[in-house]
Amino acid sequence: MSAAIETRELSKRYRRVSALTDCTVTVPEGRVSALVGPNGAGKTTLLRMLAGLASPTSGTASVLGGMPRQDPAFLAEIGYLAQEIPLYRRFTAEDHIRIGAHLNPHWDASLVRTRLKELRIPLDQRVGTLSGGQRAQVALALTLAKRPRLLLLDEPVAALDPLARRNFLATLTSAMADAEGTLTVVLSSHLITDLERVCDHLILLAGSRVQICGDIDMLLAEHKVLIGPRKDTGPVERAHTVVHAVTTARQSTLLVRLGGPVTDPAYQAEDVSLEELVLAYMGADEANADKHLMAVGEDS
Amino acid sequence: MTWLVWRQYRVQAAIAFALLAAVAAVIIADGIQIASHWHSTIAACAGNSTCLLQASPLVNGVVSDLPYLSMIVPVVLGLLWGAPLVAHELEARTSDFAWTQSVTRMRWLTAKAGALLLVAAACGGVTAALITWWSGPINAKFASAFTPGQFDTQGIVPIGYALFAMALGIAAGTAARRTLPATAVVLGGFIGLRLVISNFLRPHYMAAITTYYHVTGSFTPPGQAWILAQGGLSPTGRVVAEGWGDLYPALPAVCRSLLPGSPTSKSGSSESAVFSCMQAHGWRGFATYQPSSRYWPFQGIETGIYILLAAVLIAATFAVIRRRDA
Repeated sequence: MSAAIETRELSKRYRRVSALTDCTVTVPEGRVSALVGPNGAGKTTLLRMLAGLASPTSGTASVLGGMPRQDPAFLAEIGYLAQEIPLYRRFTAEDHIRIGAHLNPHWDASLVRTRLKELRIPLDQRVGTLSGGQRAQVALALTLAKRPRLLLLDEPVAALDPLARRNFLATLTSAMADAEGTLTVVLSSHLITDLERVCDHLILLAGSRVQICGDIDMLLAEHKVLIGPRKDTGPVERAHTVVHAVTTARQSTLLVRLGGPVTDPAYQAEDVSLEELVLAYMGADEANADKHLMAVGEDS
Repeated sequence: MTWLVWRQYRVQAAIAFALLAAVAAVIIADGIQIASHWHSTIAACAGNSTCLLQASPLVNGVVSDLPYLSMIVPVVLGLLWGAPLVAHELEARTSDFAWTQSVTRMRWLTAKAGALLLVAAACGGVTAALITWWSGPINAKFASAFTPGQFDTQGIVPIGYALFAMALGIAAGTAARRTLPATAVVLGGFIGLRLVISNFLRPHYMAAITTYYHVTGSFTPPGQAWILAQGGLSPTGRVVAEGWGDLYPALPAVCRSLLPGSPTSKSGSSESAVFSCMQAHGWRGFATYQPSSRYWPFQGIETGIYILLAAVLIAATFAVIRRRDA
């Protein structure tokens, strides 16, 4: 299967601040990728570069077989929805549908109208007067009406209540089903339970770098939580990669990326959940940051 | 794209059109009155130029400020439509919607900026045409079409101003990414540049003509000329501007004593006696002016300058929108 997204050492600097550093990720076609990471990790920067709204400082990105660029054919295949749900507040949903019809080659107006009627969202009301959930639905429906091959969604559910969030994700899943494997989605969010429901691929950013990227099932299989007595972790660290460790007076809990079978009988190996995995990697970066700060402190 | 532009501006366009129509009605109504007043004055004076100048004024009160519309319309369009064109889309983040449709940013900008520049030129042109027509009798009475203040509000220059103000608004909004600072730039930039160009550049579009004449006589360039300077020239070539205050200290003592009201004045003194004395001492009169025939070339040059500046600003806007991250 070909890759919908392939980036190599993609980096973005704003003046002296690094927003994204050496980002190398691959998202195969037809997948729904969860883009997670703490605030400021570079999620928005990555999505905007993939959509062609920002250009990289260095590195390359290949999106649907080409560089993100100002070209109608490329733009027609990308659906992008930003965090702020950008719509013209004084325009109605119907206005937006007509704008879309004028600006896109394969526009599916009936898809938006049907979807919004199902959700009982008025087409003739200014979108500025709709609720946040309704507005997000309008924006998603408009993005889907482009019939994109790649959908880039930047925290679109962040401001929504649980019901609106579920409706939004339902729309997304039904669009995936309709597309029959030709639609690839990258969805950034902080809500891991939501992501767990719809995503099968994960990109985890922290501190402007990619921590892990890959198929969620494979990642979960590669990681284990080892619980055992508190003792020298040297042998474990040599055999596996310790991502995150919590030690109490008597016990240590290690989240590890397996380097082979767990041979030490003192440890009990347990499966990890997506949330544990994500938090471990996000925490790992924080620990690194702390170490770095301490090192800086020692230097001075 | 055209539909998007129309949808975005149709309400504002309707308001602008209504305002312009109302203003046009006022100008036309008043213009008709001025014209009929002027024609009856001409008939009454029967060719007597002093009578014409001494007739009751053609305009009174608020309507005498109507020509300012040729300045106000361009700058208002630049403020209200130019400055927010890009800036407001960025502020409201609607650029993220517009720029992720299947239309390149270049085409988006071409359609929007193109439409608004066209509207600006049309509004500037209509206002200028109305004001030019309205000013006809005043131009005829004072031969003043070429003088600053009149020149700036008539002919085709307001079209250049309108294009420039719109382009300045668009470019400033793009650079600042915010509407408010962009409006300040439009206001300051437009007024500042107008002052600089009309005061320091315009008199030199073409080398001015200087005519010398007998101080005992007088000289008025024919037609609607623009007199830049007029006065007396001493035998040593020293230029003295018009007005006795400037002239007095430079005059030979003999002539000075002939001036009525001077401390040394003798009986029988008069201004004409001073002129004869000056003539006898080798003084000449001079007038530096741009002749009437250069009115349209000057209109063309000034309009060209503003259109060129507008083109530079629009080109810069395209370069920024193309290169900069959204």
